Parts: sequence; structure tokens; C-alpha cells
Amino acid sequence: MATTTSTGRTLTLRRVDSVAADATVRHIDQLDENALELFYAALEGARPLPATGTDLEPGTVVVATEYYRVEAA
Amino acid sequence: MTEYVIIGDGISGSSAAETLREEDPDSSITVITDEGEALYNRILIKEHAKGKLPEAPISIHDEGWYEERDIELSLNTHVTGVDTDEKVVRTHEGEDVGYDKLLIATGGTPTQLPVDDSDAEGIHHFWTFQDARKIRESAEAADDGVVVGAGLLGIDFAAVCGAQGVEGKYLMRGDRWWRYALSGQGAEIMHDGMREVGVEPVFDSGVDHFETDDDGRVVAAVDPNGERYECDFAGVAIGLTFNTEFLGDIDLEQDNGIVVDEYMQTNLEDVYAAGDITQFYDVLLGEQAQNGSWGSAKEQGRIAGVNMAADGEAEAFEWVSSYSITHFDFPFLSFGHPTLGDEYAERKYSDTEWRRIAFKDGKVVGGVLIGDLAPQSKLKQLMREQRDVADQKEVLLEETVDLDDLAPPQEQ
Repeated sequence: MATTTSTGRTLTLRRVDSVAADATVRHIDQLDENALELFYAALEGARPLPATGTDLEPGTVVVATEYYRVEAA
Repeated sequence: MTEYVIIGDGISGSSAAETLREEDPDSSITVITDEGEALYNRILIKEHAKGKLPEAPISIHDEGWYEERDIELSLNTHVTGVDTDEKVVRTHEGEDVGYDKLLIATGGTPTQLPVDDSDAEGIHHFWTFQDARKIRESAEAADDGVVVGAGLLGIDFAAVCGAQGVEGKYLMRGDRWWRYALSGQGAEIMHDGMREVGVEPVFDSGVDHFETDDDGRVVAAVDPNGERYECDFAGVAIGLTFNTEFLGDIDLEQDNGIVVDEYMQTNLEDVYAAGDITQFYDVLLGEQAQNGSWGSAKEQGRIAGVNMAADGEAEAFEWVSSYSITHFDFPFLSFGHPTLGDEYAERKYSDTEWRRIAFKDGKVVGGVLIGDLAPQSKLKQLMREQRDVADQKEVLLEETVDLDDLAPPQEQ
């Protein structure tokens, strides 16, 4: 797992090796600037990914240097 | 009821259609595309070609999306001409589609290498979902690959070779990858990334001609130095030719793309353009510019839709684009116009971390970040604010950029 958080109203990024056919997948270039910054900060462990303020939903897979599934913390 | 016609169902055309329906609920909207499928995610098709992503998540809209919004979608339809006096679009089936306002969002087609046998079987260009399917199939069966085109599109072919276990040779004309935006130091990080995935960059090379077998399949690429590289897979990405042939001799201003202002208006009344095909007026740069990123195309489509519906100049396009490469262990991001500076500042921080900032008239106009992307939002902010900061390069090259360390902006 790339980032874990235990506080409320945050999301977790879990590295995944494969993607289901019915998954929602977004490339990192589709994230808006705020979401991009928060995504990278969460990936580097700098701060948790908030559950609000971005359009990242649990279940979405984000394609960056690896694939990361957004999960509810 | 206003009749809108959009040629092209890529992200810019589709974004415009969605915006028009929101802004003008009672209008007629027709989207015409020569592709056989509705909007898909063009920046994810490379992941499909790499063999990492199934097809289904790449589709964005099915035909039902258009029906729900009462948008007429014409797939597999080639536009053969536009008559801006009669205000009609002509299709290959002989149909005339009338419009009150027209959006051209036809993008481009990969340019073919002007050498012998460049259309042989096994030689691929990469633009559509259908291209990606063929590339995946071909790469899965290949042993040796050759990649041509030392830019942002070519590197996707290198990544396909790496992911599919194809031993690749990346033939570059110059001494490094993307030489217009990267110095030797930055490029070397990318070259190491290529080597890590099994693709060897070859410099001062290129392709003079391909060799084929009796069945017309590619078997080798020969570079201008006479070096021969065996291959059963080749990827060519030397640029795009914009899809404007159908416009014929109408008096539309073009300059390696369709010239539009910041409202996406062409020089012809009621004719707009959006997406990769535009030479748009960049209000941050202060001159015409071009951009092929997903976000830029989507926003141009939205802006075109807003202004078409308003029948005026309701909103200008003002955007700092981003383009990421996600093929290697380290992230890569270019933003703005990294090749259009009149001065540059750069620094290498580690074997996988490097930064270059492009300035024009003292202001940030773009850059490239490798490894550490943390400064991207601050640098984009400076670009948006058009602050004169070229004399404070040291602050911007600090490992951690703190905008509070910049001298306060001078009163103009």
C-alpha cells in the first residue's frame, strides 16, 4: 500500500497490479491541479488524501508511475 | 433553435457538445466523426498497447450518452467539405448537414516517415484506439523493435516495447531524447529509464529506409549511417499532420493548424476550432501557441461551447497545460510551453531528479520536472500570475520551492 491513513474522511491509495474490466480508470493528467497535488502528496506520505475537495472516488484507479486504487480509509 | 455541428468526437469535440447542451438546452447538436466508436480516453490507450489495461475502462461515452442528451452522433462519417457561405457540412454519403455555428475539432493524423517501405506491415503509428489494439497484438508477437521519433509520442512506443518484452532500439536523430526541452542532464535520466525497461537509445541515428521480406513485413530498419537494426515491430511517431484537407480552399486562416483567438473563434464568422488542431492565442504567453495535452483540449472544447452558445466572447481560454510520462519508476511532468523560453534555468538533484524552467520576457512560461513534481503547482501559479521572476532563478531551483522567498512583485 502506497499510503495509509487512519484519520476520518480520508482516502487511501493502494497499489494494484491489474485492473478489472468494470473499473473506472483515470490517467494522472486527467486530475485537476488541486487533485494532482493532493495525490502526489499522499503518494509521498506527506499528508493523507482528503475524501472531499477532489473528484477522486473510492474504487477509481489512477494511472501514475504505478496503478493506484483509491479506497476509503 | 440554433443548430450546432461539431466535426470530431475527441475530448475537445465531446466537451464542446456537453457544454452546448448545458448552455443551450433547446438547440440541435450534431457530432460527426470518422471513427467507429464514441469518445474514448486517448491518454490511456498507451496502457492498453502496453498490455496493462483492458479495453473497457478506456471507453468514456457509449452511444447512449449522446441519446440521453439529445445529441446526434454520426460515427464512421467522413466530412468531405465545408461550405461556409451556404453553412453546410458535406459528408462522404452525399449528405449536407446545415449549421448555424460550426466547431472543427478534427485533431491530427500521425505523419508517415518519408522513407522507403514506411507503410510495411509491422510498422505502426499511434493515435487511435484501433491503432492501440493493433500495436498490442503486434508487440505481443514481436521479438525486436525499432522506435523512431524522439519526443513525447515516440516514448510511448519505447514503453510498449519495454512492457511487452520486445528488445527495443530507439533511433534518435540527435544526441538525446526531446532535445528541444531537455538538456543532456535531464535527457540522460530518461535514457536510463529506457534502458531499465530494455530499450536502448541510439543517438545520431534515425531511419534511412526499412527492409521487408517477400510478404511485405518489416524485417529491419537501416539508419543514415548504414547501421542495420533487425526488427519485427516498429513504431513511428515523428509528429502529427492536422486534419484540414476536407476544408479545401475555404478562406480559413491556417498556420500549421487552424488559427483561433482566445475565444476559439476562427477568422470566419460562426466557425470555431478546438483541440490539438488549433494555433490558439495564449493569453499567458502573449502569442499564438499549440498544445496537444488532454486537459488543454478538453478546456478548449468547453470554452468553444460557451462562446458558441453565447454568440459572443463570453469566456477566454486561459490554461496551463500538463503532460505526464508514467512509464518509468520516476514521474515526469512538462507544463506550459517548455520549448518556447528565451532563457532557462535547470538543476539536477539526484540520478532521477531534475528540473528545468523556461522563462520568456522574465516570466515563467513552462518547464519540465523529473523525479520530484512537488514544485509543479507553485511554478504553474507563477505562470498564471505572469510574475517577473527570471532574475530569481535560485529561489525556483531550490529543492523545496517557497514562493515567500521571492522578492515581492514590483508595481507596474
